[in-house]
Amino acid sequence: MARTVAIVEDDAAIRANYADILKKHGYQVSTYADRKSAAAGFRTRLPDLALLDIGLADEPDGGFTLCRELRAMSAALPIIFLTARDSDFDLVSGLRMGADDYLTKDAGMPQLLARISALFRRADLLREPPASEEVLERGALRLDMKRFQATWREASVDLTLTEFWLVHSLARYPGHVKDRESLMRDAHIVVDDATITSHVKRIRRKFQAVDPKFAAIDAVYGLGYRWNA
Amino acid sequence: MRLTLRAQIVLVALVLAVIPLVGYVHVKQMERLLRDGQEQALLATARAIATALHDRPQLLDLRAGQPASGEMELVLQSLARAESRIWIVDRQGRLLALAGDLKKRADEPPRDALAAMVHPVAMLVLERPTEDFDDSLPEAEIAGSAVVASALAGVPARRWRRSPDSRAVILSASHPVWTGDEVMAAVVAEETTNATRSAYNRAMEQVVGVTLVAFLAGALALLAFASRLSGRLARLRDEAEAAIDSQGRVRHLIAGSTARDEIGDLSRSFSTVLGRLAEYNRYLEAMGGRLSHELRTPIAVVRSSLENLRLQPLPADAGVYLGRANDGLRRLDTILTRMSEATRLEAVVRSQPRERFDAREVVRGCTYAYPQRRFDLDVPPEAVWLRGAPDLYAQMLDKLVANAVDFATGDEPIRVRLEARSGEGILTVSNRGPRLPESMAGKLFDSMVSVRAGGASGEPHLGLGLYIARLIAEFHGGAVQALDREDGSGVVMRVRCPLAD
Repeated sequence: MARTVAIVEDDAAIRANYADILKKHGYQVSTYADRKSAAAGFRTRLPDLALLDIGLADEPDGGFTLCRELRAMSAALPIIFLTARDSDFDLVSGLRMGADDYLTKDAGMPQLLARISALFRRADLLREPPASEEVLERGALRLDMKRFQATWREASVDLTLTEFWLVHSLARYPGHVKDRESLMRDAHIVVDDATITSHVKRIRRKFQAVDPKFAAIDAVYGLGYRWNA
Repeated sequence: MRLTLRAQIVLVALVLAVIPLVGYVHVKQMERLLRDGQEQALLATARAIATALHDRPQLLDLRAGQPASGEMELVLQSLARAESRIWIVDRQGRLLALAGDLKKRADEPPRDALAAMVHPVAMLVLERPTEDFDDSLPEAEIAGSAVVASALAGVPARRWRRSPDSRAVILSASHPVWTGDEVMAAVVAEETTNATRSAYNRAMEQVVGVTLVAFLAGALALLAFASRLSGRLARLRDEAEAAIDSQGRVRHLIAGSTARDEIGDLSRSFSTVLGRLAEYNRYLEAMGGRLSHELRTPIAVVRSSLENLRLQPLPADAGVYLGRANDGLRRLDTILTRMSEATRLEAVVRSQPRERFDAREVVRGCTYAYPQRRFDLDVPPEAVWLRGAPDLYAQMLDKLVANAVDFATGDEPIRVRLEARSGEGILTVSNRGPRLPESMAGKLFDSMVSVRAGGASGEPHLGLGLYIARLIAEFHGGAVQALDREDGSGVVMRVRCPLAD
């Protein structure tokens, strides 16, 4: 059965373009231009995945409100934020909106599609327990590759999908320096160096919230980052 | 030459010193008039006595040693003034009569309060008349003085002389006594100047002394007022200087003073101006963020449209145009990225906490991203501790190195040097190449200033790299400078940051 993706975006051109591409990739798409109609639509029928623009029509943070309403309706529904503001990264991350990931609007479709398919895979696994587990363990770190969950010293660390992919890229070969290009590739993003730096900083902060002595991510100036075993 | 407000007020107050000066001049004139009057009166006395003795030679017929006749004595006594001494000399210069007393006991009238205060000081300065002097009449005076000689010659005369002990000044006036056409004798009337001296002293005390005191008090009051004014203005000046940092950004606002005068107005104007400037700066700073925000949506539209287009069946030559559109989009992306890098940095620099780190590690890694160029790295053996953020420092160094790589000509390696000297960590990046353009002297590190000829490497150039370097240098408590090499062969970028303790 085709999965439904809901797109809530106030710019008509972006909404239509995204809808067209997703349809071409085999998804069913329902589109909404503002928060009220989206909320009404969700109440009638929940989608399988939601793409939410943060700034909607006349509500600059409408996407956040909608996300909360949606989460109240379903705890497991995959939600991806689309945003035009750089500053939203920290905001979204810090406020724990309950979204699974966020992208800037001008990121290309490949990035979006990678996330959508990963999140759908995870959703499937949650419905039926997997035949086999796929877990990466590096010291105190435990990465569940199918559920995209990370734990550090048995405590769960709340990472977005992008952050999970970054940690996986680093920790796969501990001691090996990964430059920013390969980190970007593995995390399915195309951004500038400074954005990678802030992503890594955010990841460090999340781990440090669980363990103040966390020092497993090292910056190697001029080269990139390295996971300390 | 700088003249403070206080000095200016003192100079202006000096104009008021004219008042005691005028008083002094007046008192001096008064003294002259008094003396003149005294001389005239003495002359009149001498004349009166001489007139009484006119044509009465028998009165004058006195022998030395014999008392004056009764009538003579009466004449003398009735015509003598209370404070004067009269003596009569005959043609031979013999003293015929003597009456009166130079000394007097005059009570001083009481002084008013202000004059009484000035009195002790005045007494130090002014000549004190005294009644304690030698009032004897010397022989030389009787026989040979000029007034006598003049009167005996028929001409009334007056002059002043000092008493034999020089403690008093004596005014003398003489008049001839005629008998027919002959001068029989000379009458001399004498007085001390003590009375006028006293009057002069009192006038000096009252007029000059009081006005001098008033002038000084006024000048002091003006000085105090000027001090207060210049204090307020100096405080305002200091506040204004502290309010704006060296780049013209508003550090903090001045709270306008509540005083209801022109200085208070000035302070409030400053406050308003600074407030507006801060708002404008905020607007400008936010503009970068707003622009990048605004750009994202249309870029997203173009990108998603191109992606849809690629999934359609297209005629063969459409691929060329798709390619060019994608290239243009990539360049837009770069611009957007650079702009949002600067915006985000401005926010980070405001809020990021600082830590202590060794700058050597950062400097050692700066060359890896540029394998196509040769570098000459010089890093000291001991640690160089700075306070800031190592990844920001790395970002700044990367901007400077990228700048050097872009401008370097020839094959000479780019020199990167870190050293600790006089409490500062000094980082220099030096490349051979064209010198700095003069017209851009102060502006190289401003936002969106570029000195390159456009389109050199095909990459859009916004002139943000050095601006970012400057922001980060400032975050580390330091500053970045661009200088020509001493031999003019290239350019040196130098960052100086205070060492962490």
